[in-house]
Amino acid sequence: MLENRSMGNIKLKESRPSKETTKENLGYPKFREVDGNHPLKKMVPEAVVEYQVRTRHGGQVAFFNFELAREIGLISENHPNELTKELKEEILHTFSIVIINEYDMMNNFNYPKDEIRPHTYMATRYLQLQHPCKKGTTSGDGRSIWNGQITNKGKSYDVSSCGTGATKLSPACNINKKFYQTGDPTVSYGCGYSEKDEGFSSLFFSEVLAKNGLETERVLAIIEFPKGLAINVRVHENLLRPSHMFNHLKQNNLPTLKRMVDYYIDRQVKNKIWKNVPTDSKTLYDYFLMKVVETFAQMSANFEDQYIFCWLDWDGDNILMDGGIIDYGSVRQFGLYHHEYRYDDVQRWSTSIKEQKQKARYIVQTFAQIVDYIKTEKKKSIDDFKNHHAIQNFDKRFFDYKNQNILTKIGFHPKYAVFLFENCRKEVEDFRNDFTYFEMAKSVKGPQKVPDGINWNAIFCMRDILRELPQLYLGRGVGGLVSEVEFLDIIKSSYATKADLKRSLRRDLKIRSFQKTYLKLINLVSKKFKESPEKIILDVSMRSSVINKYDRVTGDSITTIVNKVMNRKPKLSAEEISIILKEFTDYQNLNPDKERRPSNFEAEKEQSRLVKGMLQIVREYRDGI
Amino acid sequence: MKLVLYSGGSEDENRFLNQRALDLTENNSPKITLIPSSSYDAEDDFRFFVQEFQGLGVQKFMLFCVDTPYTKTLLQEVLKSDLIFLGGGNTFYFLKHLKKSGMFAHFTKFLRRGGVLCGLSAGAIVLTPHVHTATFPHFDRDENPWDMKNLSAMRLVNFEFFPHYKNSKRYDAELLHHSKKSKIPLYACPDGGGIIIEGDQISFCGKTHQFFQGKKLTVSGYLG
Repeated sequence: MLENRSMGNIKLKESRPSKETTKENLGYPKFREVDGNHPLKKMVPEAVVEYQVRTRHGGQVAFFNFELAREIGLISENHPNELTKELKEEILHTFSIVIINEYDMMNNFNYPKDEIRPHTYMATRYLQLQHPCKKGTTSGDGRSIWNGQITNKGKSYDVSSCGTGATKLSPACNINKKFYQTGDPTVSYGCGYSEKDEGFSSLFFSEVLAKNGLETERVLAIIEFPKGLAINVRVHENLLRPSHMFNHLKQNNLPTLKRMVDYYIDRQVKNKIWKNVPTDSKTLYDYFLMKVVETFAQMSANFEDQYIFCWLDWDGDNILMDGGIIDYGSVRQFGLYHHEYRYDDVQRWSTSIKEQKQKARYIVQTFAQIVDYIKTEKKKSIDDFKNHHAIQNFDKRFFDYKNQNILTKIGFHPKYAVFLFENCRKEVEDFRNDFTYFEMAKSVKGPQKVPDGINWNAIFCMRDILRELPQLYLGRGVGGLVSEVEFLDIIKSSYATKADLKRSLRRDLKIRSFQKTYLKLINLVSKKFKESPEKIILDVSMRSSVINKYDRVTGDSITTIVNKVMNRKPKLSAEEISIILKEFTDYQNLNPDKERRPSNFEAEKEQSRLVKGMLQIVREYRDGI
Repeated sequence: MKLVLYSGGSEDENRFLNQRALDLTENNSPKITLIPSSSYDAEDDFRFFVQEFQGLGVQKFMLFCVDTPYTKTLLQEVLKSDLIFLGGGNTFYFLKHLKKSGMFAHFTKFLRRGGVLCGLSAGAIVLTPHVHTATFPHFDRDENPWDMKNLSAMRLVNFEFFPHYKNSKRYDAELLHHSKKSKIPLYACPDGGGIIIEGDQISFCGKTHQFFQGKKLTVSGYLG
């Protein structure tokens, strides 16, 4: 935006602090740390593209995450959830920025000096499969910049913003071989802006997943602009992705690759996420690989078991190094195990949820190649690592996590789950096999088109059977098995047709086997801990009613909820959204050990009508994608 | 018919009524079901419910929500319970979903075969002929955002029930005003109090007041 004011010529890295940019605000000194500086710029300069930035006018704070801001030390512990004028100004001053990009410079756009910030901000380079160059020389943050790093209580957090202008790393820029003006309406993603609904979808989704213990980027603030545009600010302990390393591997650039890996290791150590880290360099890289194996085995098992679709691929994009979720644009949580769903990305189909494990495995294989490259200084073919011990470990750990997950899903108390996991592997796997048989069942209708892709509907809701079965056993007594008809009545989802529910000899046998293996686990715990089976089932029943709650969010429900929030009239204030978000995410917290309020069986129903409406949406879409 | 109407309050305050309710089942190992007024946080309510009744020796529990879809299998199992406990919350929301799910007819059959039906606050009000007592006093009434007009309820008793009663002028003013228009007596119970009905017998727990035709009377001789 050019205004009729005194203009300053743009010279990269030469602008001086202005009155505006040096404004001291004693109330929020931590915001000053978020000024574009980030250690990666110095450690691995070839991994970033630096841009000068200027103030972007016309923004309003649509949301601010007070809880997260407290956690990272941006505001004090006792700061109220109130967006004061001073705080609002601070948020806008810090985050309402736009890059001065190549297009601006080629066209000699001048901006007022006092609007140009003293430090540069970086867009990072990483591998992306949708780019024409498959080596990552031109790809990376296409519409994001990193605002910097903030440290609180010995832990550092990366802060980045999406929608801050078109960088030269976007696919559009490289496919069409031209630089774009930020906001160019002829390109969508390549224009450098992001939209408010993207920010709110990420917000609601990431807060629910974070509450449930998953690693994820979190939304710190959403700054809205006219025409539904927004800058979405996100935070995580470490925003590096595997793709931040894979590009240097593809380019055979060992020095840069090594520095990037070293930077990541150093960060994990300093943040005390990794402990007892070896000091000698060769063992250190083995340790690094071991951590990657653990992270990706756990992450892919969790995604599969919690029906999280994240479009993992060979490029190591769409996922963080610590297994955290990033870029919610293609993330979904299914209500059932819709393992045939594929997203239609125009030029290609996405991977399916079931294929994610293979993609994670391939990412591990690539890291095995990286570690070997660093250690030997010779790059071998990726195929040489097909049978690497890291891959074997990955396979083993993947199934370990699957076994742990199924025990948690059933509702076993952690001490019972540990016992079964460590001592009764066969019995656990027998149950998991029966469970998988029903979980994988698909509709006889075959593949169906859905608004954004293709699906072949799953038909059984496993949460329902895990929630209701222990209750029925309690009511009938432990020997009182559920009949085949009853079992199908409980487990059938809204996607199941009459034909899908047809009984067969195999299905009947599986229903009996499911219950037999389920009760076997109950009895093993009962015997070991010398408690009656009824008592174990009661405990399982209570935990399962939380873990397998009837109404758990899905991707479609989040989209609908976000529309509801955004179209609400009168418009919701940032504070009101905070309250609603908290109430909603508390409700979606499926941790049976979460802190509970005392009750007199008369729950105080304080949730607003809007949250009630949201829950209705969650119910409507609970089986969907 | 065996009914227990609870006003509300803490587990400790209601222990006497809980024990009486269990005694009414005449079963040493009763199966009891909680039907919360809303599935919202029902799991938490269930946990506290289990804790309380476990302390009284119960081992078989079920949770059943009427505002989310349920299977015939689970409903049938619930109706085999010895005791069904209707939780508290928003009376209008609860009434709406109890009606929608056709539970009244099931409860009638349940009572006929000797089951004990308990209700706390909203859960108790729905056992009476209608839920007008949820509409006042103006300073402590349930919201009715669904604008429900038909407030008729189960009609299992021939009186109105007012939970969480506090013996004060401002409560009395509204209760007396209401009683002038009503053709049946209204019993107001403080937290921890309630009414037990076994066949033709009615007994009161805690200091209960009757409001009828513009007059307030204190019920003499109460349990607990």
